[in-house]
Amino acid sequence: MTLNANGLWKRYGEHDVVRDVSFSVSAGEIVGLLGPNGAGKSTTVGMLYGSVIPDRGTVTIDGTDVRIDGRRARESIGVVTQDDNPDPDFDVRGNLRCFFDYHGVRGEAAERGAEQLIAQVGLTEHAKKVPDELSGGLRRRLALARALVGTPKILFLDEPTTGLDPDARQDFWRIILEVRDAGTAIILTTHYMDEAERLCDRVLLIQDGTIVRTGQPRELIAALVGDEILEVVGLTERDLQVISDELKLIVRPYGAGYVVAVNSETTEYAWQRLAVLRPSQLTRRPANLEDVFLRVTGVSLDRSGSV
Amino acid sequence: MSLPTHDSRLATPNSQVKTESRFIALASLRHGFVLRAVGSVWRRHARVYRQSWLVNGLSPITEPVLYLLGFGFGLAPLLKTIEYHGRVFTYQEFIAPGMVASGLLFQSSAEGAYGTYIRTKFQHTWQTMLTAPLHFNDVFAADLLWAATRGLFAALATMLVSLLFGILGVREIVFMFPAALLGCLTFAAFGMCSAALAKRIDHLNVPIFLIVMPMFTLCGTFFPRDNLPPMVRRFSELLPLSPLIDLLRDQNAPVLLLATRYGILTAWFLIFAAIAYRSLHRKMFR
Repeated sequence: MTLNANGLWKRYGEHDVVRDVSFSVSAGEIVGLLGPNGAGKSTTVGMLYGSVIPDRGTVTIDGTDVRIDGRRARESIGVVTQDDNPDPDFDVRGNLRCFFDYHGVRGEAAERGAEQLIAQVGLTEHAKKVPDELSGGLRRRLALARALVGTPKILFLDEPTTGLDPDARQDFWRIILEVRDAGTAIILTTHYMDEAERLCDRVLLIQDGTIVRTGQPRELIAALVGDEILEVVGLTERDLQVISDELKLIVRPYGAGYVVAVNSETTEYAWQRLAVLRPSQLTRRPANLEDVFLRVTGVSLDRSGSV
Repeated sequence: MSLPTHDSRLATPNSQVKTESRFIALASLRHGFVLRAVGSVWRRHARVYRQSWLVNGLSPITEPVLYLLGFGFGLAPLLKTIEYHGRVFTYQEFIAPGMVASGLLFQSSAEGAYGTYIRTKFQHTWQTMLTAPLHFNDVFAADLLWAATRGLFAALATMLVSLLFGILGVREIVFMFPAALLGCLTFAAFGMCSAALAKRIDHLNVPIFLIVMPMFTLCGTFFPRDNLPPMVRRFSELLPLSPLIDLLRDQNAPVLLLATRYGILTAWFLIFAAIAYRSLHRKMFR
């Protein structure tokens, strides 16, 4: 067991931000914490590496309690926070050398380590640039390189690709998968469902500070939603109720219309039945984790509120 | 007190959480600090300083030279000698320890205040460091020591200038050193207090105008405090610069008096450090 979180609880004022969260993560596994903004993902991750003090509960990393011996626990972790916070007083190389020093590595060993990481994350031609001269994607790579100092057993990535363009996201994913393949456990918070589906071996769906469901992305989609989704606009709830009762389909309000979860046996028939009713819009697409979240919680991930 | 409605068995009553949070910073103290870790953060600050050492070094060197030349040599012919705690000083001899004290006061408190504020509030350097194998105590101690180091540069520069002008001797400088070091730590902690309590960067001016400047002018830097009206004198003696200036200047004082002055300065250091520690800990760990 690499990381074990047990009964984490955090309250700010009168509001319980995290409620009784427990889970564990093993080596070489990518675990995604999914939820809308304000669900408690970042607070949970903060408690895992020690930047947020839980009101209750414990976190152990390779048997070391983060609160009792934070220094030792953090020797085997790396963290990419939501806001990169590179050290503005140093260039890329200087940032990494400082971090090596924090890890107790100096001199030539630090130089060598910094060069290796710079190459690993593809920053070689930017090594002499200060953070202000780097694009958002390159700053993220620097944050990732910094997190990889000390060869962590667990890597925390808090919304790592927010604000990146598609190419930069793909690059970042490639590096993350390489790190995972080397045996590092990764805990990822994101509200991008494609990111979670692509990267995560297991996801924890979080709503109002509580884990409401866990499982492998494809398994969750198949078990809770089905194969495909029909998105329909311009029909009433009553219209849809008739079809859903007949075919035992799951219907949820979504945006300006509704989503109807269908499987391979019912797709064509449901499509025809809905088309006859002349909706203003009817589309089909593969089911995804967003639909799982909607199904489980009634809350849309990217809209951050009940629909 | 209200409990969450979802599952009252698991809820932590608010009053209990608040009671516990009072002791979080205190409990954190037991982790102590690790010299290697403190050193790594101190070196980071030193590297930043070294990048523009010429600019950074300008103020601690030019200020004492200007003050010594301006006040020391300019006023010396007018004032001849000054009697202070039963000992007669030339004005240059009198003002040199005051310049050492004021130099370290400004440098330590400014670095403690602005340096720590910028690193915690704008650059989030502390937050980033705390993702590495460092404890809050290491980062706090390193910032305190770095601000004290900046003060010590100023103090040593003033001592060197005084030595070159023949105002202070080597023996006097050696005697001054431990007091100057304690003064640097005290005002570094004072600066960090300001950083911890300020909500906006402009608020850092408040302690400068209300505490640093009164200390600079009233605590015996330029003239004996005995010359002040009794009320003002008593107020000035409460301020931490007074025992420091007395320690630097009054080297022949009885041991008990020296110990008392060291005790008062140490008490100020502990008070400032405790407030800074608790407030910064609360800022870092919500």
